[in-house]
Amino acid sequence: MAFLKRKKAAFEGGGLVLVSEVHEAMLAEKILKKAGYQVRLVAPPPELRRGCDLAVEINLVEKPGIERILSQNDVAYVEVMPLKVGAPEILEIVRVTDFGDWVMVKAANMKLTFEKKSGVIVNTSGGGCPDIPHLHAGLIDRPLGEAPRPRDTGYTLCALMLDRALEEGLALYNGGERP
Amino acid sequence: MMLIAGTVPIKDIPLILGEARDEGDHLLIKGQHVPCTQGTSAMVRAALKTTDYLKLEAPQVLLVGDTGEGKGSRDLYDYLIKNVAELSPEVLALHYWMPDMALTRQLCAAVEKCIRRPVMIADAGSMYSAKAAGLATAFDIFTPDAAEIAFLADPDATHPAYIRFMVNTDGGNTPELIKTAYEHKNAAGLLLVKGAIDYIVKAGNIIDTVTEPDVPALEAVGGTGDTITGLVSAFVYAGLEPHEAAIIAARANRMAGRFAEATPATRVGQVIARFPEVFKKYLCEWSGVCATGGVEYD
Repeated sequence: MAFLKRKKAAFEGGGLVLVSEVHEAMLAEKILKKAGYQVRLVAPPPELRRGCDLAVEINLVEKPGIERILSQNDVAYVEVMPLKVGAPEILEIVRVTDFGDWVMVKAANMKLTFEKKSGVIVNTSGGGCPDIPHLHAGLIDRPLGEAPRPRDTGYTLCALMLDRALEEGLALYNGGERP
Repeated sequence: MMLIAGTVPIKDIPLILGEARDEGDHLLIKGQHVPCTQGTSAMVRAALKTTDYLKLEAPQVLLVGDTGEGKGSRDLYDYLIKNVAELSPEVLALHYWMPDMALTRQLCAAVEKCIRRPVMIADAGSMYSAKAAGLATAFDIFTPDAAEIAFLADPDATHPAYIRFMVNTDGGNTPELIKTAYEHKNAAGLLLVKGAIDYIVKAGNIIDTVTEPDVPALEAVGGTGDTITGLVSAFVYAGLEPHEAAIIAARANRMAGRFAEATPATRVGQVIARFPEVFKKYLCEWSGVCATGGVEYD
């Protein structure tokens, strides 16, 4: 009797965790799988190699959550980056819109707005990852300096961009000085 | 049937499929209370306001809790992949979820098995995964904002955090980005690009723009992009052509913002609450879609 084997769904993550040593790649894979992430061991393209010839493919959108898990478990990784050779760098530019009593800070697809006088966050908008509505609820009505940082509580690149906007908002509120 | 699928930010909400009821500050679906904030619930609520007004069947919604870990999103993809052919909705509107290229690919393959191909609408995470997987042309409508059109235009980007193209603060380079997105086949058949100027784009050609009423504060109000997608979906379900639905959705959203006297501190619920008033005053004039139900034809 032939055994029917269920075909595993293909995985297309679009991101890589680069490491220096093979054993670190294997450890990273084990820890990330245990945490519920879909990952796989791959050979990185030669142009992207930083250390060894083994890397962990991840869903790039989940970069912040994955970096946090790896750091919490003391896994030494070199970098988390797009799998595609020649892919653009993460967007660093932040833009500001003055609404009179309020200021809106934009970082990529994310926007955060706070009241100038009090520094209280009145809105966040943009994004499309599942942690964003959750972060939105946690940020609204909080003073900038007391708001939970999306980089610490979020999991996705949208959360990372929201954190950039919050950081810039804090800097503006503190008179141009970065927190 | 119109089916709206997406995640909501309550971790414990299991996968639920059913008709949503608007309870003001929350949605009630199969006994589950879902707060109406930014995201899928704002989209659902805008669609509900529209179908209620037009006396159409309320949308079926497929929701699951996910606060970013991705498990709920994967359950949602799996359910749709297994059941979309049987459900065979007329309109399938996809919204917030963890972008996953492989699962989106499987979903698009499953949609091909529907008796009649649904009108496919994507925004937020579902638009990101469709583009990243190279499947944008399998969709009928995308509703990106200015940063997201830059993402669609960048052939290598898998998320708007990684984009090569700069976005002008005034959206001045939006037409150029639209052209590039279509050149790389990274756009749906119709785009509604939200911004200071809303662009309605069909097969690469800008066929209309909406600029009035001008309510700049709406950009800051979380969820006002989601409401546009809900409006578009419901108007398509009502029988309008996608470009007509997009134009009216853009106008209605702006007008609701004006009626709500929106400031950057306004909550999306305050805007959604004004839709019935906007429809009553303008919908017949704008579209021929009237309160007696459905589209009026000559």
